[in-house]
Amino acid sequence: MSSKALRRLGAARFPLSRPTWPTSVPRPAKVRRVGLDYDTGWSRRYPARLARAVITDNLTVPLTRLVAPAVIEGAAALERTKGPVIIAANHSSHADTGVLIAALPLHLRHKVVVAAASDYFFDTPLKATMAALVLGAIPIERTKVSRRSAASALELLADGWSVIIYPEGGRTPDGWMHDFKGGAAFLSVRSGAPVIPVFLEGTARVLPKRPVEKGDAPGGSGSESRSSGRLRRAPVSVLIGRALTPDDGEDARSFGPRIEAAVAELGREAATDYWTARRSPDPELTHGPEAAPWRRTWALPAPRTVAERQPLPDWPERS
Amino acid sequence: MERKLTRFAAARMASAFGSGRGAQLGPLRLVDTAPPSIPSQDWFAVAPLLSGICGSDLASVDGRSSLYFEDIVSFPFILGHEIVGTMVDDGIAADGSALTKGQRVVIQPVLGCVARGLEPCDACRSGEVGRCGCLSHGHLKPGLQTGFCHDTGGGWSDGHLVAHASQIFAVPDSLGDDDAVTVEPMACAIHAALRAQAGADDTVAIIGAGTLGLGVTAAFGFLADTGRAQRPARLLVAARYPVQRQMAAKLGAQVVDPGHLDRAVRSATSSLVVGRPSGRGGLLSGGADVTIDCVGSAESIAEALRITRPGGRVVLVGMPAKVTVDLAPLWHREIELVGAYAYGSEDVAAGSEVTFDLAIEMAGSLHTGRLVSAAYSLDRFEEALAHAGSAGPRGAIKIVFDVRPKRAVTQRED
Amino acid sequence: MRPRPGFVLEVDRSTPPTLMWKGEGFGLVKLPVGSRVVYAPEPFEALDDPEGAIRHALEHPTGESEPLSALLRPGMTLTICFDDISLPLPPMEAPDIRQMIIEAVLDEAASAGVDDVVLIAALALHRRMTEPELRHALGDRVYDAFAPHGLLLQHDAEDPSNLIHLGVTKHGEDVEINKRAAESDLLVYVNINLVAMDGGHKSVATGLASYKSLRHHHNPETMTHSKSFMDAPASELHSANWRMGRLIRDAGVKIFQIETTLNTDTFPGNFQFLQKREWEWSLKDRATFLAASKALDAAPPKMARQILHSIKAPHALRSVYAGEVEAVHEKITADVWAQQGVAVAGQTDIVTMGLPYISPYNVNSILNPILVACLGLGYFFNLYRGKPVVREGGVAILFHPTRPEFHPGHHPSYIDFFEQVLTETTDPVVMHEQFEEAFATDPWYIHLYRTGHAYHGVHPFYMWYWCSHAMKHLGRVIIVGGDPATVRRMGFHPASTLDDALEMAKDVVGPDPTLTHLHTPPLLLADVT
Repeated sequence: MSSKALRRLGAARFPLSRPTWPTSVPRPAKVRRVGLDYDTGWSRRYPARLARAVITDNLTVPLTRLVAPAVIEGAAALERTKGPVIIAANHSSHADTGVLIAALPLHLRHKVVVAAASDYFFDTPLKATMAALVLGAIPIERTKVSRRSAASALELLADGWSVIIYPEGGRTPDGWMHDFKGGAAFLSVRSGAPVIPVFLEGTARVLPKRPVEKGDAPGGSGSESRSSGRLRRAPVSVLIGRALTPDDGEDARSFGPRIEAAVAELGREAATDYWTARRSPDPELTHGPEAAPWRRTWALPAPRTVAERQPLPDWPERS
Repeated sequence: MERKLTRFAAARMASAFGSGRGAQLGPLRLVDTAPPSIPSQDWFAVAPLLSGICGSDLASVDGRSSLYFEDIVSFPFILGHEIVGTMVDDGIAADGSALTKGQRVVIQPVLGCVARGLEPCDACRSGEVGRCGCLSHGHLKPGLQTGFCHDTGGGWSDGHLVAHASQIFAVPDSLGDDDAVTVEPMACAIHAALRAQAGADDTVAIIGAGTLGLGVTAAFGFLADTGRAQRPARLLVAARYPVQRQMAAKLGAQVVDPGHLDRAVRSATSSLVVGRPSGRGGLLSGGADVTIDCVGSAESIAEALRITRPGGRVVLVGMPAKVTVDLAPLWHREIELVGAYAYGSEDVAAGSEVTFDLAIEMAGSLHTGRLVSAAYSLDRFEEALAHAGSAGPRGAIKIVFDVRPKRAVTQRED
Repeated sequence: MRPRPGFVLEVDRSTPPTLMWKGEGFGLVKLPVGSRVVYAPEPFEALDDPEGAIRHALEHPTGESEPLSALLRPGMTLTICFDDISLPLPPMEAPDIRQMIIEAVLDEAASAGVDDVVLIAALALHRRMTEPELRHALGDRVYDAFAPHGLLLQHDAEDPSNLIHLGVTKHGEDVEINKRAAESDLLVYVNINLVAMDGGHKSVATGLASYKSLRHHHNPETMTHSKSFMDAPASELHSANWRMGRLIRDAGVKIFQIETTLNTDTFPGNFQFLQKREWEWSLKDRATFLAASKALDAAPPKMARQILHSIKAPHALRSVYAGEVEAVHEKITADVWAQQGVAVAGQTDIVTMGLPYISPYNVNSILNPILVACLGLGYFFNLYRGKPVVREGGVAILFHPTRPEFHPGHHPSYIDFFEQVLTETTDPVVMHEQFEEAFATDPWYIHLYRTGHAYHGVHPFYMWYWCSHAMKHLGRVIIVGGDPATVRRMGFHPASTLDDALEMAKDVVGPDPTLTHLHTPPLLLADVT
């Protein structure tokens, strides 16, 4: 179609086009149901579940296994679980959810939701829809448990849905584990569902978080620096621990550190071995040294991110 | 020049092979024709001696002229508006002095209100005859200049043409014929240099180093030497060919390669290039105070807009036709784009002076006849036009027709 | 087999033609009978355990210095500076020696609990390195630990807030260097001593200096009196740097200098023939030579450059010392001479040199005409101790196509230098007086130097000054195969073949001249007696 015809089409007037609003009539505020207000109910009804199952089994899982071949330890513990569980894992990459879902036994894989940051995954209607459809994401706050998101998560657990939650409240900025927020413990105490601690190792090599750029990055002028991490194939490990349940009368405040300790122990196991991890509760192995940022990075366990060769700049002709 | 569309079309096609090539197929023919008659009183017959080939002549021959000129020319006409000639009879000059038969004169070719027998328009009354808008009225057929009007004849002729007293300026004996034939283009150059309104601290960039580019370069020097205008701090001339480069350097300009004009302007004005670390094709943060475009193509105008500082001035001296240029820099940087066509009178330090008088003085003091590189007889007009069309690469600047009686055709080296 | 020392060959009728570099390619040239060819010594053996040698050097310092571990304590500020992209040539295969040393230093710093550590590329007025170049020099581990936290810096000689004026030497020279480096409790400088002029006080006094400080020794006067740069006692450039270096030391800047020598193993695998003697070329060498030289000749210059610049040298660590600047430098310079020195008896009328595709200033870039002059007359000419290989009033014949090609991103001021300065003058003194200031202070060049990857505006002048000793010494400079207009603009003479060039040279040095060819790369240093 010629541009002229297009322009004519665009110039079509009411009633062929949307009516304009009289200036003197006040307009009601625009309602945008995104973020925490986004209703993900539709994504757990049958058609969406079917679509997600198809996507998960045919796209998410095979692709994840292709780029992030995983060594899974302790999966047997999951096989035995019945009913809904709360999966609490450390978080270093957007690849974590895919790796985790691919590691889940079938009965959990198709009835699980992912607690995802409302400010990142649910900020636009399109992103929110995609996150809910593909991952079965539900919106939560990063830092605290609000009544509304807690209530909806509890409702889901009561309906038999398992919940994946990253208690660090976001991907680690420096490669080390950070302190857990109380959400997972709270949900477990309130619902009685067991918590499965999981440690994911190596996912940052597959899809690194974009590094923080401070001031002027040396080399490269601003935008060309390694902005969004690039996807590359790397092996990962998934260490699944034994299910934890709150003791009688135990509240979230004391249960939370137990979850964190369990994940950290799995982390030490990834860094050393099963035995050493249990003998020496050395926090430096998972949380890094209390030192300057460069030393925290310097102390990260090898192998570190594999740099890809960047092509040399093109040769310009004589100017 | 005849008005035949087929010939214009043929010329247009032929000129794709090079400027001046339209002569062979185009609307230009060499014919025997009766000399023009004297239109009214104060008109006198002038027999040309030398007559130059101008860029606008080449555009006409090649059929590349803007359609804008359609209504201010009258076919058929005899080309040639850079003319030195002799009086056929006694006559009167523009300043009212008497001229005797055989005296050498130069023609100021604009056919304004006075020549056309009209009440002078505002422009003509103030001496700005170049800005006269009544170019198709009065008792003459339309024609912006002698050399584009059916009734006056033109310089490319060995007969005579007719000129109004207001158009005739006596040539001092100190000027050779070569010097005199450059008076008309030098008048344009002086006019352009003054249109630049450059101050003493200014950087002036000149794009193109043909007759006009070198003429403007020379005019800046002449006007400063005679105390009529300020000498710009820096004069950068983009010249491609060796003969142009030598001449521009002799005239005191800083000569740069046309491909490096933007870089030269940038370093002369200590500007930054906006974006583009390579510096190629980028906009300058500052730039020349005045850029004088003596080419008039889309590329040259675009470059002029790129290298002129915000609030600066671009003077269009080269005759443009229809061009496609991005005017965003003009708007955003508030650049003045001004035309500089022809002459009349100029406001200089000492007051108002007639451009042609200045040009005659300049031609004498700088011997601008140096710019004349070759002369041809009329019957070799195709060769002459081809030479003019490729003057730069062939080491020439100005090509003229020599219609002086009984003189062998000479080809001069610089 | 022990590596054989360098030697001087006298060309006779059964000598095969000599390998001659000519920019992005090479060929064989038949030198006249009786010519001399100076061959570089063969590369020394690599150290068996470079990591161990580095650790040993850090813990057993040379000169008056404590071991590195004793200098490190929690709460201190530590700055590690390293040589930039200009060294070594060609860039070495990973791991780069800088990476190995800096990792060893950082391991010490981490175990000593030093938190405040900054890495600085000692660029002086060179271009900033790109991320891939930094990753290559430092390794990913170091890059990823420092760059994201803004702790990997590149020295900025135009950032007044990050420079400190330490004083004026008794010769009136301003000493102004990087503030962070000067104010740190410890400054560790990691050097690569590729040739004898590298390192010593020049590392800090030049590598971390500002234009204000550099202009005192980077000028035609100093350069003319540096005979040669490779022989520090006879080099005015080095005298000035030593004065400045001592002032820096006396101002209280604590420097722990680490200097290294590499062997001259310059070309990898299939390209090894480029550092072999022609009569020892095997069938495979000859086949590779034919294929490579024809392919490079046939390829467009751009592609040939890409191929050659992708070569990484198998340089290996030869020796490493750490500790006090002057003591370390003395030992290292002796090692450089041991690897590269060749005794040459007597001067010659004509010296020939084949210029390769790379110089310190065009790694991953284009060897533009000004760098051609600098490589031939600034570097190769100065590879001597005692007196130049060529006699005063003699002729230098260079082989290079010298096309007027420039990298607009890396060498923007070179383009304007070529168009605006060399068209006016080729005299270093005149350009120093008339043009240098404008180029050095041009805001656009400064902008590109600070934010892009461009050499500083004044850098082409320095390249030209490097040549000033040679230009004064030589009677004529001839470039075989050079673009005539370009060569003439630089004040040299173009020739199409060596025979033409020899005829032109005879006009200057008379009939029956003696000729010496410098067979480099690999690098050599002529000890002329």
